[in-house]
Amino acid sequence: MSQVQGQKTVVFVKSLILYSFMSVGAVFVLFPFFWMIFVAVKPEGQAFSLTVSFAKPLWKNFVSIWCDPSYPFGRFFINSIIVATSGGLLTTLFCAMGGYVFAKKEFYGKNILFWFLLSTMMIPGMMFLVPQFAIVTKLHWINTYRGMVLPHVASVFGIFLMRQYMETIPSSLIESAKIDGASELQIFGKIIVPLSSAVMTTLFLLTFLFHWSNFLWHLVVNTPDSSKLTIPVGLALFRGQYQMDWEKMMAASCFAIIPIVIIFLLAQKFFIEGLTTGAVKE
Amino acid sequence: MLKSKTRETVVAYLFMAPFLVIFASFLLYPVFYSFYLSFRTVSPTTDMFSVFTDMKFVGFSNYLRLLKDFDFWWSLVSTGYYAVLYIPLSIAASLMLAILLNNQLKGHSLFRSAYFLPNVLDMFVVGIIWLFIYAPHYGILDRILTQLGITYFAEKGVLANGKTAMLGVVAALVLKNAGFGMILFLAAIQNIPVSVYEAADIDGANEWQKFKNITLPLVVPIVLFLLITGTIGALNAFAEIYAMTGGGPQMVVAGKTVGATNVSGYYLFRQFERMNYGDAAAISYFLLAITLTISYMNVKLLHRK
Repeated sequence: MSQVQGQKTVVFVKSLILYSFMSVGAVFVLFPFFWMIFVAVKPEGQAFSLTVSFAKPLWKNFVSIWCDPSYPFGRFFINSIIVATSGGLLTTLFCAMGGYVFAKKEFYGKNILFWFLLSTMMIPGMMFLVPQFAIVTKLHWINTYRGMVLPHVASVFGIFLMRQYMETIPSSLIESAKIDGASELQIFGKIIVPLSSAVMTTLFLLTFLFHWSNFLWHLVVNTPDSSKLTIPVGLALFRGQYQMDWEKMMAASCFAIIPIVIIFLLAQKFFIEGLTTGAVKE
Repeated sequence: MLKSKTRETVVAYLFMAPFLVIFASFLLYPVFYSFYLSFRTVSPTTDMFSVFTDMKFVGFSNYLRLLKDFDFWWSLVSTGYYAVLYIPLSIAASLMLAILLNNQLKGHSLFRSAYFLPNVLDMFVVGIIWLFIYAPHYGILDRILTQLGITYFAEKGVLANGKTAMLGVVAALVLKNAGFGMILFLAAIQNIPVSVYEAADIDGANEWQKFKNITLPLVVPIVLFLLITGTIGALNAFAEIYAMTGGGPQMVVAGKTVGATNVSGYYLFRQFERMNYGDAAAISYFLLAITLTISYMNVKLLHRK
């Protein structure tokens, strides 16, 4: 009897130790995030004080960031939403179409093309900075949404992810639709897309995120007076202005980070699945 | 049969057309265009309204100048330093988190979410937050350490000190990205059937032996994957440097003044910013050569085992 009791105590102590280690890990990893919120709700000029004090009302810094006429934050926010959403939608659509034919069609050049596309994933992204900028300049796409989005919607990772998933759709479904007289587009739109909605959501979220944080590119295709600046670029260009106002800086940071946190918490299953599929291809 | 394959081919390429058009114009063409630009330079006579069509041909001089440029070589060294710090630290942190989470305790999925969360956040903004945390005298890190009697950071903080700047950047990155590797490790570890561990238990293996002989070999592919992505990450490092250090602080190496965190991605950006487009294109070819070499070595390593 006492032996069982002893084992129970061991299990209890073990899980207590595990919990405390896990909590320490969480504190470390999430600290910057909490610190940002903590400072964002502080009264003016008290960013560095460690006493727990709050702005009155609590959202004062957020409002003043949003309403400052020299710092069009609402504009940045809307731009971020537009760029990330359109980038995510276009990438998902194009990759679904491309991934579908790689999964379900036999065509000339299929294998060579696929391996060629995969091999380009090795090229460091920095390589594209100068030529892409040159192309966008020549197209007069500086300070436009298309300049910010289009050069980055061809995702080879997306093609790969779609192909992996769509290969599992039974070909018999496609065959029977063909017999019923469905056109190629109907097959894609009415069979493939609905059956792949989960993986398409995953890709949309991942590419939404990519475009939301595509900082360097947004920095170079916009001039400082552009009306298309996204939140991080706006933060960077206006850093000088808010250098001393850390509580405002952090309030602005919240606007860049909280939407993503909410999306992540609502849809984390999709993020994690997508990343795991992408990585275990070897 | 052949005819139907021809038809399929037409349909297939039509479906791929939007992707391929973007791919060809913004990814494939730039690789060659960059090569072309790397032999040219913006000269005083260049028409500023059509810079890229009016650059002067200079042969190999961009490449030769880079080879003689101490800052360029330093940028490669500091990129290497970045990678050497970042890759092992992030792999260790990821693996540690994965091992911690590999249990059936209540709420472990909550912790998993918490660890993974920072991964999806914007790098630049996270960098700004760390800038604030690392600040000297007022920053929270320095204040805690001062309370503990460590006054090393009191004067310059973490990022304005050449000795600690890179470590500070990398620490922020490791904490942000560890969740990514953790998810991969966790998937690999949880794929191992429990029966394997039970068999080891019967044979009298202890925890360390089980980890070394069962878990570790199965996570090696993940380590290699993180090695590759870490290397590419180091070559692409930009937003974190831009947010936290701006390539600085200045320090003296071999009698020359260099930026302690002036990694190659940031160096390329600085050349670009100064309209040295030819030099920037030449740098990107050096980076490509380095990446291909490293990838080749990785593949060799993979095939050896």
